[in-house]
Amino acid sequence: MDPLIPLTVAVPLLAAALLAAFSPFVTRRVIELSSIAVAAAVTAMCLLLLSGASEAPLVYWFGGHMPRDGLALGIAFVVDPLGAALAAFAGVLVTATLVYSWRYFDAVGVLFHSLLLIFLAGIIGLAISGDLFNIFVFLELLSVAAFALTGYKIEETGPLQGALNFGVTNTVGAFFVLWGIALLYGRTGALNLAQMGETLAGGPVDSLVVTAIALLATGFFIKAAIVPFHFWLADTYATAPLPVCILLGGVVSELGLFAFARVYWTVFDGALASSHEELRILLLAAGALTAVVGAVMSFAQRHLQRMLAFSVIAHAGLLLVGLGLMSPAGLAGAAVYLLAGGLVKASLFMCLGILQHRLGGVDELRLHGRARHMIFTGTLFLVGGLVLAGIPPAGTYAGKALLEEEANLLGLSWVTPLFVLVSCLTGGAVLRAAGKVFMGWGPPPGHSGGEEDAQVGQETTVERDRTPAVMFVPALVLLTAAIIIPFVPGLLGGSEAAAVAFADRPAYAGSVLLGTRHPITEARAHEWTVPTELIAGAASVIGAVALAAFTLRRAPLPQKALGKARTGAERVVGGLTKLHSRHIGDYTAWLTMGAALLGGALAAALL
Amino acid sequence: MTSRGRRGLFLTGAAGLALLLLWGTAGLPDFGDYQHLYGLTLNAESVAATRATNAVAAVTFDYRGFDTLGEEFILFAAVLGTALLLRAQREEEEEPPEDMAPDRRPPHDSDAVRELCLGLVAPIFLFGVYIVVHGHLSPGGGFQGGVVLATAPLLMYIGGEYRGLRTVTPEAPLELVKGAGTGGYVLIGLSGLWFGTSFLDNALPRGNAGDVISSGTILALNLAVGMAVAGGLVLLLTEFLEQTLVLRSRSRK
Amino acid sequence: MDATAILQAFVLLLVAATATGVILTRDPLAQAITVSFFGLLLAIAFLAFQAPDVALSAIAVGAVALPLMILLALAKIRGGAE
Repeated sequence: MDPLIPLTVAVPLLAAALLAAFSPFVTRRVIELSSIAVAAAVTAMCLLLLSGASEAPLVYWFGGHMPRDGLALGIAFVVDPLGAALAAFAGVLVTATLVYSWRYFDAVGVLFHSLLLIFLAGIIGLAISGDLFNIFVFLELLSVAAFALTGYKIEETGPLQGALNFGVTNTVGAFFVLWGIALLYGRTGALNLAQMGETLAGGPVDSLVVTAIALLATGFFIKAAIVPFHFWLADTYATAPLPVCILLGGVVSELGLFAFARVYWTVFDGALASSHEELRILLLAAGALTAVVGAVMSFAQRHLQRMLAFSVIAHAGLLLVGLGLMSPAGLAGAAVYLLAGGLVKASLFMCLGILQHRLGGVDELRLHGRARHMIFTGTLFLVGGLVLAGIPPAGTYAGKALLEEEANLLGLSWVTPLFVLVSCLTGGAVLRAAGKVFMGWGPPPGHSGGEEDAQVGQETTVERDRTPAVMFVPALVLLTAAIIIPFVPGLLGGSEAAAVAFADRPAYAGSVLLGTRHPITEARAHEWTVPTELIAGAASVIGAVALAAFTLRRAPLPQKALGKARTGAERVVGGLTKLHSRHIGDYTAWLTMGAALLGGALAAALL
Repeated sequence: MTSRGRRGLFLTGAAGLALLLLWGTAGLPDFGDYQHLYGLTLNAESVAATRATNAVAAVTFDYRGFDTLGEEFILFAAVLGTALLLRAQREEEEEPPEDMAPDRRPPHDSDAVRELCLGLVAPIFLFGVYIVVHGHLSPGGGFQGGVVLATAPLLMYIGGEYRGLRTVTPEAPLELVKGAGTGGYVLIGLSGLWFGTSFLDNALPRGNAGDVISSGTILALNLAVGMAVAGGLVLLLTEFLEQTLVLRSRSRK
Repeated sequence: MDATAILQAFVLLLVAATATGVILTRDPLAQAITVSFFGLLLAIAFLAFQAPDVALSAIAVGAVALPLMILLALAKIRGGAE
């Protein structure tokens, strides 16, 4: 088992280097097949690690530098079930993307495959590393690969602008993380997460600790697109090549939140144990704001890729609410929701790719009714919308139900209505698009073109009359997986047990620094099929359908009935849209302000 | 947002952030007052344990060699990404950029610049090799030496020998050098897994501290990084030069 | 205050002044030169703080590679825009 741990990162990296070095000498088919084989093999390795780590976390020291008398000298990978599951999930998505993009680009080179494998190695390293600086290195590794991949369409200005916004804001984020690491290193003299946590737990919570967590949170939240650090994401995801979006939307945004959770529960949890209540309020507020802004903006888009991009932001908000519950059950619910939501978003982006491939565009108005003949893709997209809204008993529903049950136990009764609202809006947006594009419902577009089109990327412009199986099958598989998640034996209970271990800082420190074995005990997840949750789930779906139907109606409603509410909503959406100005200067200004506010709020909460 | 609004928002935020940073930095130990066991332990034992007289190299290539692997791949990914972004565009293939001022000749290269640059190529190359292979003994190493190595071809370009530069730095072998250096780091890591206890464990004889051939894998890893960085940077430079110099080399033909 | 501390403080002030200079330079071409100078001073600062390894990296990247990339990118942009 042990040698597998470094190989999960070493194998994809070595393969990427070899592919790049030997690309002039082999055919494209060889490159495609071998990269798919490598990604699949790495996924299998991660699944093996997951099964190994489900008994107790596995600790691996690089370079043979074991800790001496509790002092970590080298770098460790600490494989816990949640980290291994995230790594395996990334492996699945990368494999699916490689299969999917078999036919996508007209001129796809070896660069795409090499970068995807590096990207995978970065995610795996981030997921299972037990060293703060090492986490930073892997975060940067996957970011650099992602910057290049999002700018793939160099002929157009939109994608380049998106990639530039992505690069600038995320590099600023990396700088915040680095500064936070430097402060913590100055205080603790360590980079090993467990060691830092042990040292901080015995010390005071002062200006340095508060600033360090503020800087780290800012950096990670920029990567995770938490309001007001989220502006870059919509521009980037709306213009990146769709195969890249599968990965970005499926797993990348969530990595920032994962890194935050990992660092919080290994480094800060001991020192800040007495401030849980204050931190909870702060994180819940940030999460709720992000979820609502993302959901409202998602519903307001007509460019489908941009609509899903805002959906990604809304989901990041819901996940932050899950983390913000500050409890193992909250973590477990967030993990299930991350997995199910990631799968369904990846599948929806794949559907957009099929639309792009067949009809040469992804604009709701321009595609109005043009996809009536695409029955299979239409069904997939429609079901995807229902799953996104959280239709029972799909995985997205189960994740939300677990979170809502935990929130209710904590006396936070507003969480359920928030989740319902966000699900209505994000699911309703997809259902509305399905109705327009695949059924031709709703008023036919009065005009087409306009400002949005400048941002629309087009890899392929020709209309084609067949959907390649390599595009359809991965989308179907991922969506099916998103639905059946709660019925995988042991998955819900396993994530609860894994979350308990994830949040147990002393046990983590013991297994890393002293080599003691802390078995992961079995645990039961919350009940997720209780009537209240089923009602909430049904309300989400009915609400989503109703919202979609409302916007798809042919006859205009009497102005008086809804006049006021409507202008109010339009004003809110208009104001929000204005804020998303696509101006990098605006984004940086918001980012600076956000960092200062977060720092101030944390100082107020923790001291 | 208006530019005034943006500036106001930024300056307010920046002031708050500056306060936060100052406040946080105040919690650091005094300058030069180092008490941590980690650094003290490494200072005490690293030379004896790794036989590298440069403790920085011992940390970056031995104790924390896995970080350096990631960093090397960040550079690798950046080079790949640049190649991806600067690849020949469709319209460029059909319609190569033309010299917009056909009557303008490129300035005559001064003989002094030319002689000086070309004369420096060999010494700089040697200096780069020196820095790479002495990384475990004195400041420097694969990364710094690799950059120095990459400046040797650059001098040829400044000296006006762009075509000569392309002859001594053809693309396919450079890809191989870069790939061998980058992949070599992983392979050395795997050798530790095979012959030793774990990935990146030292599997070579350490030798005597102070010798050029000593410190085991630290030297080997430095060589790998040197190759990767030199190959990668020269490729990066040629990518840029290919884009920018179409004009100049065309008018010379 | 001993001589080293004075040297360090002096170099830090120089770095801060040059950094401000880089920001105040509005023309990208001129900025490539000022940023190179800034890189060189940063390297000297690292040397003054007894970090010769980092100083070497700073010279290589900050004073040579980064300005060069900026210059080449500018050449590309202007070549296309003319």
